[in-house]
Amino acid sequence: MLELSAIDSGYGETQVLYGLSLTAKAGRVMAILGRNGAGKSTTLKTIMGLLPARSGSITFDGKPIPTRAFDVAKSGIAYVPETRDIFPSLTVRENLEIAAKRFGGADAEWTLERVVDLFPRLGERMDNGGMELSGGEQQMLAIARGLLMNPRLLILDEPTEGLAPIIVKLIHDKLQELKAAGLSMIIVEQNFGFATSLADDVVIVGKGQIVWTGSAEEIRADEETQHTWLGV
Amino acid sequence: MFRHTPLRYAALVLLIGAALTQTFTAGYFGLEILIEILILGMLVLALDLVAGFGGMVSLCHGALMGVGAYAFVTLNVLVGLDPWLSTLAAVAVTAGIAWVIGAICARSHGIYFIMATLAFGQMGYSYIFESPLFGGDDGMGGIDRFDLTSIGLDLNDSKTFALFCLAVLIAVYLFAAAILKSGLGRSLIGVMHNEKRMKALGQNTWRVKADVFGLSGIIAGIAGVLAAQHILFISPGMLAWTVSGEALVVVILGGLGTLVGPLIGAAFFVVLKHQVSEVTSHWHLVVGVVLIAVVMSRANGIFGWIEARYGAWIDRRLTDSTRTETPEEILTDA
Repeated sequence: MLELSAIDSGYGETQVLYGLSLTAKAGRVMAILGRNGAGKSTTLKTIMGLLPARSGSITFDGKPIPTRAFDVAKSGIAYVPETRDIFPSLTVRENLEIAAKRFGGADAEWTLERVVDLFPRLGERMDNGGMELSGGEQQMLAIARGLLMNPRLLILDEPTEGLAPIIVKLIHDKLQELKAAGLSMIIVEQNFGFATSLADDVVIVGKGQIVWTGSAEEIRADEETQHTWLGV
Repeated sequence: MFRHTPLRYAALVLLIGAALTQTFTAGYFGLEILIEILILGMLVLALDLVAGFGGMVSLCHGALMGVGAYAFVTLNVLVGLDPWLSTLAAVAVTAGIAWVIGAICARSHGIYFIMATLAFGQMGYSYIFESPLFGGDDGMGGIDRFDLTSIGLDLNDSKTFALFCLAVLIAVYLFAAAILKSGLGRSLIGVMHNEKRMKALGQNTWRVKADVFGLSGIIAGIAGVLAAQHILFISPGMLAWTVSGEALVVVILGGLGTLVGPLIGAAFFVVLKHQVSEVTSHWHLVVGVVLIAVVMSRANGIFGWIEARYGAWIDRRLTDSTRTETPEEILTDA
């Protein structure tokens, strides 16, 4: 579904990714793990066109991925960033409508009603401003906004960052529902248990390259790799 | 997004009331000052739309107003086109030029955006200044106000013209508010908060900025046509960057990103200018001191300060009404 081949990328003069290659398969959940600064978020930003790839290629469903961020989104990839990026002066409804307006339609799989069914809390907060939401509510809104883009691939960067355990469990359950419904996902996550209980496939990024590839079961059983590359 | 809070409604009603009172009580010079405020009000609404809600600080909006004025006079006086058709065409030309400027400048940010708009504005000023077709430095005259005698209105009467400008300003305000409440307006606010996020949400942010800049050009064009009809003479000075700078000062004085604030700023600025200039020719010094005071106060202009105080008062009232025990009672219970 999504294939990165020998990607070099970074910020300004600082190179972060060195020939990174990975393949995410349709209908499966891939977790990208790694220590801080390994290049996980840089990988996602490069996929999304928010950072230009200096070399290498990225294909989505066999076609080269567009270079401009809004074309990447239109190609069917939704990105939920670590910072959530809720628009503070817009209400929950308006935050959702920004995505729904462009990607909604009569035959859209995800509608405002459906994301509210998934996250009833958002329904109660529809007319609240973005800045009035708790961290958990912001994360729900960010995921709901991504879903309203009716993506074929949902990418989440650190979805549990800074959340209370009860909210982490709620987010986990909701993502499990999405996985059961067949949505392809890539999740970058520091929470090893959260990531490996959701993912089918796991890659570990170290020093800007993929250093380990396997299944979630394999990484759970491989304590040496966990210790070497994840510090678990 | 942009919302009409009770305070904003109240401010609008007060402003309209004050304008109507001035219209029916002021003499000739008072009416001239009022018309100046109303036309400046349109220009600063155009600027607030892009700067206050899109983060696009423009130093070419004065020039856009000048383009509207020159296009109107050229078509109406030189070509002999019907004044209403000339107005429509002038506004369309201004909007088109604004869209192109917006489309080009939208690829830059911050200081580079400001400098790019300044360059466009100065190009327009220099072209008009050097162009014999448009009267060069001498400017152009021979302008007539709209003929509305068929409905019993004589716009050559200052009072009637002031009412006409007030009606247009209200229409322009509603137009700007409608833009901000539309999907395009929400996208613009999203772009100002986080352009990368909007791109990742599939928004062509460049197009959003260019479209709103073009719509802002419509308002600047209308202001230009009315400015030409007000003074009945136009000169390249209308396009000078100082006009844009002054408009920016007014927006900041009134309250950036509030729509209502810049209207208050326009009234404050023009009245201050005329009052102080009666005493000294160095009125710019006084405006400068006021501007520095407003900026240093860290409030968002005059109206931003009022909104902050009003918000704090509402919070206090809510706290008082939800408090069931006095501090003494709480201490006693403890």
